[in-house]
Amino acid sequence: MGIALRGGALALARVGFVTAFVAGCATQPPPAPVVAAPSVSPDALVGKWGFAAYHRDSDRARTIKEALAQCNRPYVIAKGPNGGVMMNLADQAELSELVLKAGPDGKTYLGPAGDAATADDRQVLDVDPNSFTTVWVDPDNASRYGTSVYERCGKRA
Amino acid sequence: MTVRASFFGSAAAAVLAAAVFLPGPFAAAQKIDMNVVDQPGYQPTPEEEQLSGAYEKQEVFFRTNEAPGTIIIDTSQRFLYLVQPNNRALRYGIGVGRDGFQWSGLQKISRKQEWPDWRPPPEMIERQPYLPRFMAGGPGNPLGARAMYLGQTVYRIHGTNQPQTIGHAISSGCFRLVNEDVTDLYDRVPVGTKIIIKQAVAL
Repeated sequence: MGIALRGGALALARVGFVTAFVAGCATQPPPAPVVAAPSVSPDALVGKWGFAAYHRDSDRARTIKEALAQCNRPYVIAKGPNGGVMMNLADQAELSELVLKAGPDGKTYLGPAGDAATADDRQVLDVDPNSFTTVWVDPDNASRYGTSVYERCGKRA
Repeated sequence: MTVRASFFGSAAAAVLAAAVFLPGPFAAAQKIDMNVVDQPGYQPTPEEEQLSGAYEKQEVFFRTNEAPGTIIIDTSQRFLYLVQPNNRALRYGIGVGRDGFQWSGLQKISRKQEWPDWRPPPEMIERQPYLPRFMAGGPGNPLGARAMYLGQTVYRIHGTNQPQTIGHAISSGCFRLVNEDVTDLYDRVPVGTKIIIKQAVAL
């Protein structure tokens, strides 16, 4: 027992020496990024939505009204098998599972699992129980699709 | 779907029969259907919007009994004529309904709209489910800078953000002009303007 303990201590000392040696001649590894949890829950996006878009801020108010009027052909967002939400990426007819991500800038993004604020992501804005707004990160997508507004069909109290 | 509105009265048919259209030698070769999906949000460059040749707006010799100010659309030749005095007309290149979506008839402009909103039709939403169901008017909108509604139908004369489609059969029955041309036409014609849409060339 005593021998075993002494052997273990020696082994630890060797590891410590090696670690100190390596650390002394290698680049300091970057600290692990601190990723905050996104402020929006996927459940907030699940449901049937009137979906509309605009390019000029002056059109926002009437676009919201028009989105509500589109509930006869809603955009349906279901929960994904891995806890995300099933939505379309830009120009993709097939659904993908997207996750909500907190960006390093403190903003909330929606896109494929991985880093936040990448080209396939959209920023999520103005979320409340009955509506949310998104803007594509990719400048081309943002230019073509403008600002998207989603208004819940059958509003929650 | 085949849309063949029967708005033609016999008088209008007789008038049309008297009209002389002057298609260029290029017209027959240009009757090619395109398979291009709408590109909502796409903003063409000024170079792309600059038409050349036959489809560029121009004044032409045009004999008709229709009064100046009347619009005559020749679907088969992909031209829209705005009748002018003295056997002249302004001729614009247009895109027309694809096969099965072409129609003929007699209409009037019932409404005019700058930067019209766009609502993709259901079949387009089915193909492209990522599209918003409503897009507010503005640059990049598939309906372009101006729209003139044809009577109580779902059809319009409108602009486009796809100038490459002028001269082709691509739409769902509407008539599209490049934005500069549709703006020019819009400024020349009031609500109530008579529009004759014809398919066959009457020489």
